Parts: sequence; C-alpha cells; structure tokens
Amino acid sequence: MTATPAPIRPTTPIDVAPVGDRGKVWRRRIAYGFLIAYALLMFVPFAWMVITSFKTQVDAVQMTFIPDPVTLQGWQNALTTLNPNIVRLFINSAIIAGTVTVTNVVLGSMAGYAFARLRFPGREALFILVLGTMMIPDQLRMVPVYQLMRQFGLTVGPLQYVAVILVLAIAAISVFLLRQYFLSIPRDLEEAAKIDGAGFFTTFWRVMLPLATPAIAAVAILQFQGSWNGFFWPLILISDRSQYTLPLGLSFFRQQFQTQYPELMAVSISATIPILVLYLFFQRYFVEGIAASGVKG
Amino acid sequence: MLAGYALIAIPIFLFLVLQIGAIFYALFISFWNWTIGGGGVETVALANYERILGDRIFHRAIYNTLTYTAVVVPLQMALGLLLAVIVNAKIRGQTFFRGAFYFPAIASSAAITVLFIFIMSPNGFFNGVREILGLNPLFEFLEFGPRHSWLGNQRTAWGSIMALNIWTTSGTMMLFYLASLQTISREVYEAAALDGASAWQTFWRVTFPLLKPGHYFVATVSVIGALQVFDQAYIAGGSNGDPNYSTMSIVLYLYNAAFQQFRLGYAAAVGIILFLIIFSATLIQRRLFGGAPSW
Repeated sequence: MTATPAPIRPTTPIDVAPVGDRGKVWRRRIAYGFLIAYALLMFVPFAWMVITSFKTQVDAVQMTFIPDPVTLQGWQNALTTLNPNIVRLFINSAIIAGTVTVTNVVLGSMAGYAFARLRFPGREALFILVLGTMMIPDQLRMVPVYQLMRQFGLTVGPLQYVAVILVLAIAAISVFLLRQYFLSIPRDLEEAAKIDGAGFFTTFWRVMLPLATPAIAAVAILQFQGSWNGFFWPLILISDRSQYTLPLGLSFFRQQFQTQYPELMAVSISATIPILVLYLFFQRYFVEGIAASGVKG
Repeated sequence: MLAGYALIAIPIFLFLVLQIGAIFYALFISFWNWTIGGGGVETVALANYERILGDRIFHRAIYNTLTYTAVVVPLQMALGLLLAVIVNAKIRGQTFFRGAFYFPAIASSAAITVLFIFIMSPNGFFNGVREILGLNPLFEFLEFGPRHSWLGNQRTAWGSIMALNIWTTSGTMMLFYLASLQTISREVYEAAALDGASAWQTFWRVTFPLLKPGHYFVATVSVIGALQVFDQAYIAGGSNGDPNYSTMSIVLYLYNAAFQQFRLGYAAAVGIILFLIIFSATLIQRRLFGGAPSW
C-alpha cells in the first residue's frame, strides 16, 4: 500500500461540462491560475513572517527576501528580554488550551451520552437550554462574567487563568456534537454489553467511548484550536503579565514595541506553529468539526 | 434516572451560571450606575441606554460595524462560494488547495493581525511589492503615496481591517459551501448536461438555487461574526479605535466603556443593545430566506 503513489481522491466529482464544450480547456486554465494565485496570497505573508524573524531590525523594513545578515537576535530577544518571554507565554497558553480541551471532552461526552441515551424527566428541556446558550453572544456576557469572577476573587492573584478555564470549560457545541454521535451508534452494541454482564459504567467506558473516538477527536481539535487562539476572555480576565497567553502577549508587545518586528514575528510564529502542526496531522478533524457545527444533511 | 442528572450536572450548572444567569445579571447591571470596585452606586433606570443612544462615538461604532458587515459579508460569501465551486471540481491538488485556503481561518487572530499590521506599515511588504510591480502610478492616481500607512490613516484603516478579515475567513465560508455542495445529487447535474446547459447556466440555474440552505447558514454565521468584530480592531487600533475612531466597533466601544472607563452599568447596557441587534439581524435573515431551513 505504501508503494503506490497517492491517488487523487475522487470526492464527488462535479464535472458539469456538456459534450463538446470548447470553453472547457480555458476554464480549467483560469481556474488553476486563480487557485495558484490565491494559494500564494495565503502562503506569502506567512513566509514573510518567517523570513523577518531572522532579520535585524534595520533589515526588517527592507524588501530583502533573504535576511541580510541572517541573525537569531530576534528569537534570542523573544526568549530572554521580552517580559514575559516566549516560553512563559507558551506554557500559559498550553495550560489553558490543554485543560479546556480535556474538560470539554470529559464533560461533553458525559452529558452527550446522558442526552442521547439516558431517560430522565426534563431531558428535552435541559437540552434545549444547552443549545440556547449558543445564541448568546460572548460580548453580552463580558461584564457580568467579569463581575462574577471578580466576586470570587479570580481576577487578582495567581489564579486568573482559572477564570478563563471556567468560562471555556464546556461549550454547548461539544455536548451537541457528542450527543449526535452517540445517537448514531446502534443500540445493539450496548445491549450486547449488558447481556455480557457489563454495568453502566463499563458500558460507557469500554464500549461507547471507544466508538465515539472520531467525535471526541473533532471536539478536542475544535476546542484546542479555539482556546489556543482565544483572545477575548484572556484579555478581560487576565491582568497579571506573568499569566498572559501568546495572543495576549502579542497584543501587549505590539503596543510596547511598535517596530521590533523580528521579535514580534518570532512570537507570532510561536503562536501559529502548534496549530499548524496539529492541522498537518489532523486536517480531517478540523474540517469535520467545522462542517458538523454547520450544515448537516 | 439519577445517573442522567449526575452526568449533566456540571455542564448544566456552568451554563446556568455563566450563560443564562449572566444575561439576567447583565440586564440588572445595565439599570445601574455601576463601577468596578464600587459595585452598584445608584439605580438610573434607563439613563444608561439614553446616554448610549445619544453618544456620538457610539453612532460612529454603529456606523463602522454596519459598513463592515455590509462590505465583508457579501464578499466573504462570494469568495467562499467561488473557492468551494472550484475546489469541488475535478482538479489536481484538491486537498492541498482546500487545506491552504482554510489555514488562515484557524491560525491565531492575534498573530495574523500583528503580521498584517507589519505588512501594511509604511515600509512594509505591501508598499514594497506594489513598487516592484510598478503599480505606484495607479496608487498615485488614487492619492495614496508610495509610503502610505494603511492602518495609520483614517481613510484606509477600516477598509484594511475589512480586507484582513475577508482574507482570513474566506476559507471557513468555503468549507461551509463545500459541505452544502456535497448535498446536491449528481443526477441533477446529469439532467442539466442532457438538456445542453452550459457550465455558466448550470451554475446559475441549478447549483446556486439548490444551495439555498447553504446560503442561509453562511449568511447567518457571517453576519453574526461581522457584528461582533473586535480582536483585529483592538490589536490594530487600540481600545480607542485609532486613528480618530475610524476602527471603533460596537464591541470595542463596549470593551472601552467597561475596562478603560470602568463604567460597568453603561457597558452592560451596550451589551444588551448589541444582543438585540444580532437577534433582529438573525430574525430578518430567517424571513428573507423563507422560514427555518430543514436542518
């Protein structure tokens, strides 16, 4: 299997050109031209970001495509002189995004399973309540949530990131996606487990959760990406600089050091790389998560 | 039965406090002269709302947000649809192009905005490229100097933010349209081909109308997103919407009232007004597209 060249995937081809359409060849050329030009528009700014991070500050505002001279000064400054430095920002972002991903998967699969399979009074009403929260814009919640967190003492001291985690701990979309997936799993499997003497917990843990792996992956990716990039809630809830996340640090440095572009680009790259790596490996789940949150058959 | 409640307890608690409860709390605060630290000083009934609606900077925020929505939404949708139709056709490198177009949508908005600020700065990449390509006479004609500061000039700052967000979100719109395109059956296209329809006719008479649920969904998501524009405006223009309020959006105005001026009651009232705007926009779209879609 590994020896064969990667096949071009035959995903629902829509070749609508009628017989003898002479415009077809030209249309293809225009289409490819457009695709390549647009791909360049996506690619070039990121390439420029990487190139600039290896430039000197003087060279950064020149149109030199190869840094002259190539220097690690920008990266070095980002690692040492910036306060907080890249490593600190990276760890803070990882703590928040990692925790939020885990809570969404754990709480989401528990609640999703309950809404899909268990019977209890008020189930439908509670599920509608969950879905209803998707209609509330974050900005409406900005002041009251800040005020609540303040009253709990979470906006000062060393636990400011806990406030962010609490706000993002569970999203309605996580419950929804997992519920839909559990609904699609045939009941026979659970009943077979029950006949084999498996209890409620074993059935959930050993049978249902492994079957729901694709949905769990989609939820995990969606939440990790969202909370890693999240700007709004950290901006409001975190005021202590040592607890800044990467996006927050970027916004802060941008105001502090208007023109230190190599350093700014180094921080930008650090904020982008983890998502890029995840994207290269799990593109499917990124696409599934976003598509499932939207149009469904 | 108890197992069910146990499994949903934590999420329901968080939703009740941080979502449903927050709305009522926001409504309550909005009727007060409420400051950070001081809490509720005095009830002011609807005075916050009156003051907001009479504030010239708020008018500017509304104007900016609406022009932003009016420009960004149609362009985003058109670009997303165009990309989806091309990527959905039989082309080489389909996966690559789809992946490349979607990437800016999942990258950090802060990183992309900082990169964009750099590229559009007076000595930045954009001004450099147009000089190399010999496009400067054209820009000269449009009264943009060779070292124009795109985000520093109030004539171009907001338009630049619009361009930035059209660029980053077109990939998301493409994915939504791709999902919608997959739902159209091949037989419809075969029938159109048999009837001798050209590709152009097939697109406008078959594909476009059949995408109606897709249009509805994409338009709704896109409008809601556009009315909430914040990150890019904040990072590029600061909390005052520099230069000269040209990048002041409704959410930025809300943030400014709460965390620069510390007027929480006033800010909560702005939040309620924004919610009403988003809610009515969604209702209007539902009407325009003729009732709720099947999904």
